[in-house]
Amino acid sequence: MTRYFIRRLISVIPTLLGVTIIVFLFIHLIPGDPASAMLRENAPIEVAERIRESLGLNKPLYEQYLIYMGKLLRGDLGRSITTNNPIIDDVKNRLPATAELGLTAMLVAILVGVPAGIISAVKRDSIIDTASMLLSLAGVSMPIFWLGLMAMYLFAVVLHWVPTGTRIGVDVQLERITNFYLLDALLTGNFVALTDLVRHLVMPATVLSTVSLGLIARMTRSSMLDVLNQDYVRTAHAKGLAERVVVLKHALKNALLPVITIVGLQVGGLLSGAILTETIFGWPGIGRWVYDSIVFRDYPVIQGVTLIFALIFVLVNLIVDLSYAFIDPRIRYG
Amino acid sequence: MSTVWMKRFLALLSLVAILATLAACAAPTAPPPQVVKETVIVAGTPKVVEATKIVEQTKIVERVVTATAPPPTPRPVTFVFCNSGDASRIDPADYTDGQTAVRAEQIFETLVEFEGATTNVRPALAEKWETSADGKTWTFFLRKNVKFHDGTPFNADAVIWNFARQWDDKHPYHTKEYAANEWTYWHDTLGFGFKSEKGALVQDISKVDDSTVKMVLSDASGPFLINIAIFSNGIASPASFDKFKIDAFKNPVGTGPFKFVEWVKDDRMVLEKNKDWWGGANTVAIDRLVFRVIKDNSARYLAVKAGDCNGMGEGANPDDAVAAAKDPNLQVLARPPFNVGYFAMNQAVKPLDNLKVRQAIAWAINKKAIVDALYGGNGVMATQFLPQSLWGYNTDIKQTCCDAAKATALLKEAGLEKGFTIDFWYMPVSRPYFPDPKAIAGAIAADLAKVGITTNLKTQDWAQYRVDARDGKYAMWLLGWTGDNGDPDNFLSTFFLDVPPGAGAGTKCCGYYNKDLNDLLIKAARLADVKAREPLYKQAATLIDADMSRIPIAHSTVPLIFSKKVSGYVPNATGTEFFKTVKLAP
Repeated sequence: MTRYFIRRLISVIPTLLGVTIIVFLFIHLIPGDPASAMLRENAPIEVAERIRESLGLNKPLYEQYLIYMGKLLRGDLGRSITTNNPIIDDVKNRLPATAELGLTAMLVAILVGVPAGIISAVKRDSIIDTASMLLSLAGVSMPIFWLGLMAMYLFAVVLHWVPTGTRIGVDVQLERITNFYLLDALLTGNFVALTDLVRHLVMPATVLSTVSLGLIARMTRSSMLDVLNQDYVRTAHAKGLAERVVVLKHALKNALLPVITIVGLQVGGLLSGAILTETIFGWPGIGRWVYDSIVFRDYPVIQGVTLIFALIFVLVNLIVDLSYAFIDPRIRYG
Repeated sequence: MSTVWMKRFLALLSLVAILATLAACAAPTAPPPQVVKETVIVAGTPKVVEATKIVEQTKIVERVVTATAPPPTPRPVTFVFCNSGDASRIDPADYTDGQTAVRAEQIFETLVEFEGATTNVRPALAEKWETSADGKTWTFFLRKNVKFHDGTPFNADAVIWNFARQWDDKHPYHTKEYAANEWTYWHDTLGFGFKSEKGALVQDISKVDDSTVKMVLSDASGPFLINIAIFSNGIASPASFDKFKIDAFKNPVGTGPFKFVEWVKDDRMVLEKNKDWWGGANTVAIDRLVFRVIKDNSARYLAVKAGDCNGMGEGANPDDAVAAAKDPNLQVLARPPFNVGYFAMNQAVKPLDNLKVRQAIAWAINKKAIVDALYGGNGVMATQFLPQSLWGYNTDIKQTCCDAAKATALLKEAGLEKGFTIDFWYMPVSRPYFPDPKAIAGAIAADLAKVGITTNLKTQDWAQYRVDARDGKYAMWLLGWTGDNGDPDNFLSTFFLDVPPGAGAGTKCCGYYNKDLNDLLIKAARLADVKAREPLYKQAATLIDADMSRIPIAHSTVPLIFSKKVSGYVPNATGTEFFKTVKLAP
């Protein structure tokens, strides 16, 4: 297992290298560049040339790539072209916001989706099953953008149950230690802030969770149905075990493998969905930042953030693969 | 004593007693003492102070002093203003975008500032100014006893430092680390040039005394004073740059009515009232000013409706602005038109080199229908490049539009009664002057089709679009302009001046060059007196109209949606708007 883990970690390096090459080429294929993105409608050509020269954009592509990789190997992600701020500083500020939103959304999706899938499987073809699957289909089908605005209108504007957006109220004080605001509130014992944070988080996290929730519910149902038809489950019933024990202790464990795979893949979906959710709810995360960077052709930010996303994705999938061994003792890695 | 005398004595005593009793009964009875309770309210003391009993002859005054609760400390007024984007760098010399400007203008002040909703300038950090007879020397007399937010003094040295770091190539703070935008505003937009350049407008900046700064120009410049009011000439604390170095843009220190507290990127920027502001902190009603970022226009509008924002910046959807005007809890303020959306033609591409063809196209476009349908009530038809609010606007120029018959006749005269086919480009993003470019381009294409001109509608990425339009790669295209200052030179020279004085290459594009127009614009820019300049710009507008190389379509007002509780917000055409005058009702 340890050897497998080390081998997988080592394989991250060529994966990330490939990502840097592909992203570098793609962003230079997009028409325009940071200089043209910065300029007013009728700026003289010389201004663009001056900016290009100072940014090193008039150097050959391979030279620009090597300069970038040289800095990267020294741990330097570079500076944003639009703000001249070190990218790593911005990542430290924004990544926790996205992680908090994404993890909460994933938690909601798992805590609601898995039980919904189990109930649907156990009560197959009942009204509960039909309703559950219709809702999960709706969750997968509804665009997050539209759903977010509808939820905002109903729950914030009409009912005033929750705020329209952002992470924390403007008048709430919170000492920021980790930039994971929920954690910071717990660490400082600030329960006023904690309540406020939860109020701000519940709507965007729920909206973001809908696609994953639908997929997890469906996959859980499908996987459970497969397992519930197995001989050993029938044997467990025949032995007189309680339904709850059969379903949760015996069947669920074996049904979880595909569900965990889906959860791992959904991390990528959450990261991309976070861009839309963050835009609608004014959530200051990394997703919205990368969108702005693409519009303004902020090459170092696009490259840096894409690399981080790739790293997250690779590591999450590694964790998913390793978790198989914990859930199913028959799976062993050499 | 004998019995007789005893009896006589007792009789006498009795008589006295009777007489005394009678006297007592006859006299009026003194009323019992009156108890008067006098309550004295003393506000602000935390508990009962005293209860004194004053006994007077006829009354007892029980004075009970009680304390009411102290008058409540007024809650700080927090104003939340929501924008579509965040600031880039809060350094006056190093940003060009409106998102940064709206925040930075509350922290940094300029020597002169725009007055209310107008583009007239009035004193700010400079109490007054003088100009020499030839218009080349400007002397600014600075306000005294003003301090930056960090306590350091505002004086001539600070002013010179701020201008010099933009102007002097060798200034220690004129380096790449402090110039994410390459000083483009100073050098190009305002045309001030760098010290090392031969044709730079600004030749020298010097100190006369601690409160007086002199600037010498290479030539008289009409727009110069108004350019001093532009946000890029905001005065920052030099000490803050010595302290924070390349992080100074994250720790802005100015002299303004609000000082910087906190900036959470893409979330909020928090400012608080400057209690030592020279203009009088008691005139500023807002204690905390919070700028929030909500990218999506609909979400931002919903935040105002829900009360999470007290107002929102530009970018309201036209439909939302219409709905807000009907909402009893909201109000819509209009920023005066300060832009122009135009339809451009490349005279290097046939048959657009023919004046009659260009005139035909102008007559064919139904501007009225476009403005009525596609501007959400926030547009006016344009007859010329200058918006009506600007001096230099020529009221004699008539509208050339909305007559398909006339257009057809002109095309026939040009020998093109069968029409022709041509590419027509529009931008892919909403702009203030063209809120829905695709729909507007479609409407124009339909108008041209009616007179026989078939257009191939095209678009591409906005960054590249601007470059290609400037480089003359399009035959016909849409573009526009939002003014920087209130000077006609900023609108007209940007598009019609071949070689701006002192600059490198010009902005000549697309086969159009009119020497008379060019000379007129150069002459007007070199005069300081508005009365002398105004007729020249009106003449320029006539020439531009006659050439018809670019057809102005519309000017748009920008709707700003606020809660009804807000008062005192004054929309300015340049977008320079101050929160120091804003009040928020509870």
